[in-house]
Amino acid sequence: MAVAAKASNNAFHLLDPKVLASLANLELVAKAVVEGFVIGLHRSPKFGFSQEFVEYRAYGEGDDPRYIDWNVFARTGKTYIKRFLGETNSHLMLMLDASASMGFGSGGVTKLQVGKMLAASLAYMASRQHDAVGVMVFADEILEYRPPASRSGSLQGVIHTLERTEARQGTAFDKPMTRFQEHIKRRGLVAVISDFYCDTEELLDNVRPLAMGGQDVILFHLLDPAELAPDIKESTLYEDMETGQAVEVSPLFMKKDYRERIQAHIAAIQYAARGMNADHVLINTGEPLERALHSYLTFREKRG
Amino acid sequence: MGLITPLFLLGLIGLGLPWWLHRLETQATERERFSTTRFLEATRKRVHVRRKLKFLLLMALRMALLAILALAFARPILFDEPAAAVTADTTHHVIVIDTSLSMRADGSFAAAQAQANDILAAMGSDDIASLYAASGTVRTLSGPTADRDALRALVAGLAPDKGHLDYGTMISALDGLIAQSQANFVLHLVSDFQQNATAVRFADMIPDVINGRPLTLDVRNVAMPARANVAVASVLVESRDTVVATLQAWNQSDEARDYTATLRVNGEEVQRQNVSHGGNGLFVARFPDIEFAEGDNRLDVSLSPGDALPDDDTRHAVFDNSPPAPVLLLTEDPASLGVTYVSAALETAPRGYEVEAMNLADFDPRVMQRYPWLVIEDIGSVSGTLEGALRDYVQGGGSVFAASGPRTQGLSALPLLGYALQGPQVGNDGRALHLGITRIDSSHPILRESAGWTNINARVLRPTLGPDDRVLIAQNADNPVLVERSLGAGRVLLLTTALDNSSSDLPVKPVFVSFMAEVARYLSNEQLLSKDQVVGGYLQLSQTGGASGQVVDPDGENLLSLQDTTRSQDVPLNKTGYYQVYTPGGEVLVAVNADPRESDPSPMSEQALQNWQSSVSGTAANANTTLVVDPLSREAEPDAIEIWRIFLILLVLLALAESLLGNRYLNVKTGSL
Repeated sequence: MAVAAKASNNAFHLLDPKVLASLANLELVAKAVVEGFVIGLHRSPKFGFSQEFVEYRAYGEGDDPRYIDWNVFARTGKTYIKRFLGETNSHLMLMLDASASMGFGSGGVTKLQVGKMLAASLAYMASRQHDAVGVMVFADEILEYRPPASRSGSLQGVIHTLERTEARQGTAFDKPMTRFQEHIKRRGLVAVISDFYCDTEELLDNVRPLAMGGQDVILFHLLDPAELAPDIKESTLYEDMETGQAVEVSPLFMKKDYRERIQAHIAAIQYAARGMNADHVLINTGEPLERALHSYLTFREKRG
Repeated sequence: MGLITPLFLLGLIGLGLPWWLHRLETQATERERFSTTRFLEATRKRVHVRRKLKFLLLMALRMALLAILALAFARPILFDEPAAAVTADTTHHVIVIDTSLSMRADGSFAAAQAQANDILAAMGSDDIASLYAASGTVRTLSGPTADRDALRALVAGLAPDKGHLDYGTMISALDGLIAQSQANFVLHLVSDFQQNATAVRFADMIPDVINGRPLTLDVRNVAMPARANVAVASVLVESRDTVVATLQAWNQSDEARDYTATLRVNGEEVQRQNVSHGGNGLFVARFPDIEFAEGDNRLDVSLSPGDALPDDDTRHAVFDNSPPAPVLLLTEDPASLGVTYVSAALETAPRGYEVEAMNLADFDPRVMQRYPWLVIEDIGSVSGTLEGALRDYVQGGGSVFAASGPRTQGLSALPLLGYALQGPQVGNDGRALHLGITRIDSSHPILRESAGWTNINARVLRPTLGPDDRVLIAQNADNPVLVERSLGAGRVLLLTTALDNSSSDLPVKPVFVSFMAEVARYLSNEQLLSKDQVVGGYLQLSQTGGASGQVVDPDGENLLSLQDTTRSQDVPLNKTGYYQVYTPGGEVLVAVNADPRESDPSPMSEQALQNWQSSVSGTAANANTTLVVDPLSREAEPDAIEIWRIFLILLVLLALAESLLGNRYLNVKTGSL
């Protein structure tokens, strides 16, 4: 029992973004996160990752051919793939914001790093559940795009895409969302990982069509501790990482007015998410990723 | 330590300034990247007060700097050893020793020193004394002290100078020096009591401070009885080749006595004259056929045999043997009366001028440049071409003295100066009036000797003057007679009447000669410094034509520092002999002699001395006031040592440290772009 508790503690320690950031390989990070997270679940029947067979379903484009039951094919001449417990026969589209503002980080880990780790972890988790995983990296335009796939090697492709992502340019949701709608017709899960420094109206306008089109959307709202609760001792001249505009602010403002404004913005994003039937998960990038993964599983369970 | 200007200590309030400033938060200069500024708002007040102080060491330096500055302005002083204490039995002996020239007579000053020592020896145990030397000025040799040895040393080191003592001036100076005395005091005056030393007003010899104060005047007469004296009273040059020395004798017997007068010119003996004279009074020694060098010549006339006062047996004089300076006179008629009057006046001036009259009809304007100034007999006769040349000449530094002759009277505007012109003031009968002169600007150099002007009558033209014109002589507000205007680097003097006697009687009056001489000196920028002065006078360098200069005294020492040479100075003349004055306007030689009043050994009468003593004592007695002495008082302020200079040095050091530390905090980088 004591050994199990120690292992659990170590696993959660691994979910700390600072520790994870020290790992060079994003795949390793994802594996560490998910495995550590799974250990922490105490084998909950609700969220089990067993390989217990449940049913067959018809093979579809993007499904891994490894899971085709060739015996059935031999008997019937039709391609069926096996479904297992926990499998939702879905696909997960990861949309990672790589705008310049995501490059901000106060504790040695930027929001983009956390976003990449989260995206990789989600991709790993989905892959274990045989879900097709795709990724779209965007800023004010689409930077990378991999359509959802569950074939062998697609996870590595997603992770490599994430690995080479760097923060740049501004934020715009219209182009990625339009592209998404053009190419993804099948119902699935969409995880938008961003700091959402945009107008809520713009966000609504661009994400609502996804929800209306049958996609289940979850917004991972990443914010740095220094953005959530800044604590400065002296007046500081802040330069916007996206626009370059400089504003000098006083400690008093950052302690009171700014916090009110950022909380109001978070509330507005939450409200917008509710308005389009999406989930909103606020992630403090200084905290472990457990909450984010929990939220995803809850979301998946709810929508699956 | 005392603070004699406590008001400046209010400056210490300024210490709060750094304290407040160091709490201010100023606009940040370093930028910090932030994810977004969409929720930020610029601080309205870029400067605000923090609770926590910044840069404590720098603040401490700044506060110290301000404190030192305030203290320096407060002029803190340290007091030296306290001066002599005063009790009710203390008598303050004010010993004044005459150090004027007459005290240099054999034995007089030694007797004075002996008298002073006698006074010191007779002082009571509680008494104090102060010592003063009186000549042209009163010098304090020692403030009130009970230290007799120190006073004796001062007396022994004292020597007479060559100044002139006036008792009125002396008493006035002593009034200020002894006004603060807390004790009964006795004024001991050790002198030869010359008649010439008495003040013009007897009341000037009574000290003001005795009102209500006990005072005794103790006169110590050290004059040798009936001391004979012969002095050279004056040295003049007649006809540019004869030196006339006036000699004066006092207390001589009526029996004729032979004197030898020796003339040295520029240091070399050129003639000796034997003069026989009996009794007192003036007599003359003439040195004919003397050839002088060009320029200033030093004339020294010495008398032998010598007497008890040798210092007045030699007299120094300066004779300017410069050749007559040429003066250009432009006229329509070189034989006119005006030319005659001007030529006569200028050629008889002490400096000597040679008038070159030129006919305007034949005049080539280019020759004007050879002359520092010129005379125009009638400015109305100047042609347009010449007017332009004259304007260039004046603006280039030349000067013009112009009169208004018959041609000018017919003009409506004056050439060169451009004045609108009106005719003479007329009377009820329509005839032009000849009016007298009522206003003279005697502050102007050419009118310092203003006597003789008031009886001049003239018919003058009436120009409309501008704000830059200076009226030097006028009949009334509308009738200027002499006007000065500066044009560029030069100047124009306009006489609104003619130079002949057709419209005024000026040319035929004696004042015209001196007036023209002063005009010539002024317009030719000659030195205005008097070349014959006495000891005790001052060289007014402002009269040398330039504010800067150097003065070399008879012993060959430069009297002015480099800094002093750049500003106008009044240099006191303390030595007999020749002072060489170097100025931008040229080199001037000034002869300085002893005050002739010191040569007269005639003493004050016994009656006068008694009157003086009784007047002083009587005034004090009539005051009938008992002096109340503060038992804790000191006779004089202790010597104060001002220490603000030390604070200034500290100030500089602190400012340096503050700059270095401030730069360090500000991270000022130098040496790179």
